[in-house]
Amino acid sequence: MKVLSLVPPKWRFETTLALRHLITGGGQTLLTIGAVAAGVIVIIFLTALIFGIRLKLTNMLTESIPHVTVRVRETEPVPLSELQDLGSAMSSSRIEKQAPQLKFIDDWQHVVDVIRTIPNVRVVLPAIQGQGFASKGANPIGVTITGADPEEQDQVSPVTKDLIAGKYIGLASDEVVIDYELAKDLAVSVGDRIRVNSSAGNSESMTVAGIYSRGQGRGGAYVTLRTAQSLFGMGNSVNVVLVKVNDLFGSDKVADQIQNLVPYEARSWSREYPSFVSSLIVQSASAYLISAFSLIASSFAIASVLIVSVLRKSKQIGILKSIGATRSQILRVFTLEGIGIAVAGSVCGAAIGTLIVYLISLPVQSTARPGHAPDQLFPVAILPVYIFGAMISAIFATLVASWFPAQQAAKMNPVDVMR
Amino acid sequence: MTATTEPRNQIVVETCGLKKTYFGKIETPVLHGIDIEISAGEFVAIIGQSGSGKSTLLNILGALDVPTEGSVLIDGVNISTLSEDQLAALRNRVIGFVFQFHYLLDELSCLENVLTPLIIHKGEVTKDEEERVIALLERVGLGQQLHKRPDTMSGGQNQRCAIIRALANQPKIVLADEPTGNLDSRSGDEVFKIMREMNRENGVAFIMVTHDDRLAQEADRILMIEDGWVHEVDKNEHRMKLLNSLKDW
Repeated sequence: MKVLSLVPPKWRFETTLALRHLITGGGQTLLTIGAVAAGVIVIIFLTALIFGIRLKLTNMLTESIPHVTVRVRETEPVPLSELQDLGSAMSSSRIEKQAPQLKFIDDWQHVVDVIRTIPNVRVVLPAIQGQGFASKGANPIGVTITGADPEEQDQVSPVTKDLIAGKYIGLASDEVVIDYELAKDLAVSVGDRIRVNSSAGNSESMTVAGIYSRGQGRGGAYVTLRTAQSLFGMGNSVNVVLVKVNDLFGSDKVADQIQNLVPYEARSWSREYPSFVSSLIVQSASAYLISAFSLIASSFAIASVLIVSVLRKSKQIGILKSIGATRSQILRVFTLEGIGIAVAGSVCGAAIGTLIVYLISLPVQSTARPGHAPDQLFPVAILPVYIFGAMISAIFATLVASWFPAQQAAKMNPVDVMR
Repeated sequence: MTATTEPRNQIVVETCGLKKTYFGKIETPVLHGIDIEISAGEFVAIIGQSGSGKSTLLNILGALDVPTEGSVLIDGVNISTLSEDQLAALRNRVIGFVFQFHYLLDELSCLENVLTPLIIHKGEVTKDEEERVIALLERVGLGQQLHKRPDTMSGGQNQRCAIIRALANQPKIVLADEPTGNLDSRSGDEVFKIMREMNRENGVAFIMVTHDDRLAQEADRILMIEDGWVHEVDKNEHRMKLLNSLKDW
C-alpha cells in the first residue's frame, strides 16, 4: 500500500488496520456505506426538488414584477372626531376611501439617484403605470398600460424575452406591445393598429409592434415613457419608480431604506405576497426537517452496524491492547473506520444523488406556453451548496454515530474480552 | 510463600505480597500473597487446577491487570506506578503474549501480524527489523506462509506465528497461557519445542501456564498455584509423579 507512506508514521498502524477492516468487512462495509449514501441521496434529491420548485415559483412570480415599487403614499381617510376634540358634536361614522388617482412623483430624477446609492439595488426604472382600454372597432377591453424605457423595462419585467412576435426594443412613440390574450381578444397581429384610451381620458391610435406571452395575467400593454406621459397627461412626471434587486429576499430591507430616504411609499414584493413568502418558508423548513430526520435515521443505522462490528472484533481489540496498543490508538482505528465510511458513503451518495436529480430534470411537460419551449416536469435545481452541505452533514452524522462504538472499543478491558 | 532459585541472571519479574481480589456482588479473593522471582532466560511452568488463579497471575504479570495489594516489578518497574499508556508501552516492548487461541488478526497476513507490535510502537518497520522477523518465521517453518492469512493456515502454523509475534519486539518476558491447549499433541509438541528453542537462543524468560505435566517437566522450574497460593514443585518429585501416572495409565 504505497498510499500509506503519505500517512504520518504515528497514524500508519491505525490507518492500515481501519482500511483492512473496511476492505475485509465486505458486505457489512457496503451496507454501512449504503446507509450513509442513502441519507445523502435523500437530502440531495429533496433539496434539489424543493429548492428547484421554490426557485421556479419565485422566478415565475418575481421575474415579471418589480421587487420594490415606489409610489406616492395613499392617504388613509381619518374620522374628524379623531383629529379634533369635538365633544358631542355630530360626526359622520361612515368613512369612505378616496378613489385611486394618478399621483405624480415630480422629483423622480432625484429619487432614482438616491435609490441607486442603496446596496443590493440592481435596476431603478422610472415609469408610468395606469389603467385604460384598448379597442379595435367596438368592444373596448381593459388594459394595464406601462410606459417605460424598453431596455430598462426588460430588466425589471422582461418583455423581449417573452415576445412571440414583433419587437419591443426600439419601440416608437406610436407603437405598443400587447399580450397574447389581449391580441387574441382584439383579433389583431403585429402591424395592426388599435386605439388605446387612458383613464385620464386621452386616446391614441397605435400600431401593434409586438405580442408577448408570460403564461399569466392578461391585458398588458407596454408603450414608451413619453407616450404614457402624453396618454395620462403627466407632463414630465412619472407615478412609479420600479426597483429590481440582486438578492430577492433582501427586498424588504431595500424598501425600508428607500422609505427612510425619500418621502414616498416603497413596497417590496415579499410584502405584496406574504402568503407566498410564508409558503416558501414552510417548504424550506420541511426540506430541512426531512433532511435532518433522514440523517438521524442513517446515523442510527451506522451506529448499530459499527457497534456490532466492535463487538465482533472485541477479541481482536483485546489482543491489540495486550500487545501494546493504547486506548487512543484503538479509538483512532474505529474513528478512522467511521471517517472512511463517511467519506465513501457521502461521495457515492453525492454522485448517485446528482445523477438521479439530473435524470429527473430531463422529462418535460406535455403542454407549453405559446411560442415557448415546454417547462421541466420536475423543476429541480442541482445546487452545489446543497450537495456539499449534504456530504458534510452526512460525514458529521457518521462521525457522531461512530464515536460511541469507537469509545466502547477503546474502553474494552483485554482481560474481560479474552477470557 | 516464596518460590525462588539462585538468580542466574538479572531478575525480570518480581512480585511481593501480591494479592488479587475481585469485587463483584461478592468479594472473591483469588491470589492471597504471591512472592516470586523470575530471572532473564528462565523457562518457568505454572501448573495448577482450573480456577486456582493461574490466569489471573499471568494477567497481572503481563500488566493487563493490576494487583489489589502488593507489588509487581516487571523489568525493575513497579507496574502500579504506571499510567495506562505506560502500561501499554511496557506490554509492547518488554512483554510478549501467547494465548491458548492464536488471536491473530484475520485482516492481516502472517508477516503483517508478526510486525504488528513493531508498527504499534513506531508506525513503521525498518528493513533490518523485517529481515530479522522473516528469519524467525523461517526458523519456525513459516517461510512459505509469510503472505498467507491466518484463516488459510493450520492451527499449529498460526500458533507458531503467534509465538514469533510475541518475540517480534525482542521482549524480556514471554507469557504463554496454555499455548498448546488448543493443538493436537504433535502440533503442541512442535510449538513447545519452538518456545524452548527461542528461550534458549534469545535469552527471553518464558512463563507458561499449562495443564500438561509432561510439558511442565521440560521447564527449568515448576510453580504450582493452589487456592491462591504458590509453591515451587521439586522437578524430581514431579518426574516421579509423572512416571507413576504413566504407569497407572
